Amino acid sequence: MENQSVSKHTVSFGFSLALCSVINALLVVAKEKSHAVAAAMQRVTGHHWITHGVAVMLLFLVCGWLFALPNGGQGLRPTASRLLGIVAAGVLAGGGIILGFYLIAD
Amino acid sequence: MLNEIILMTHVLFGVGCLLAAVWLFVDVLHASAANQVRIRRLSLAAAGFMWAAFIIAGYWYVVLYPADKAIILKGPWPFAHSFFMETKEHLVIMLLMLATYLPIAARNDLAANPGARRLMLWLTAGIALLALLVEGHGAVIAAGVKMGLLAQPH
Repeated sequence: MENQSVSKHTVSFGFSLALCSVINALLVVAKEKSHAVAAAMQRVTGHHWITHGVAVMLLFLVCGWLFALPNGGQGLRPTASRLLGIVAAGVLAGGGIILGFYLIAD
Repeated sequence: MLNEIILMTHVLFGVGCLLAAVWLFVDVLHASAANQVRIRRLSLAAAGFMWAAFIIAGYWYVVLYPADKAIILKGPWPFAHSFFMETKEHLVIMLLMLATYLPIAARNDLAANPGARRLMLWLTAGIALLALLVEGHGAVIAAGVKMGLLAQPH
């Protein structure tokens, strides 16, 4: 009973949250380190941060939908504990990269 | 005056999300059939508060913040922008994803499923702590503007 499964959208959007948290952080590093990336993001919506936010949120929604499709629409079936580990790892990694980058590397 | 109202409104909605997350944490600790509907409604409210805070803050950041940024960078606390605003503007995107995910995770049977309950507890604690962190960042940014203005020659 300890590891009862959760709904397919809880799993798919949890995986998406973990993935997009890391992508969000890597996008920060990319645009801070590359003027070409920052300029391109600026051109898309007129402000790099709007492009950043819209891109990450769209990716979150699309990945959440896509991750629900495997296994004939049943989605992936990890235990709740495994899902929690993946979500926590992704969010902590994303936050750590952002804080670490501006604290040390920038 | 309108600019200040916009600024304070985004803080108000952010605090609303924070308080909803703390309330949810306690409610999920005591999850049962009796409070399941309230948990789901409150999860939606937390997400709604966060989206409102994010959109209003986004308008303020893009349209009004450049003037404050110039003051901060010329003042004695340039780190209020170079660290605190730079991290805040990207951490809130994570916060928005976490808050958006909350109503999805709340759809599980929390009373009967300890795994789903633990996920909700982790999410609500994470949202509350991250919201508290970015509220603190906002306070440092405001102090950075104040320090910059105080340092200007009269």
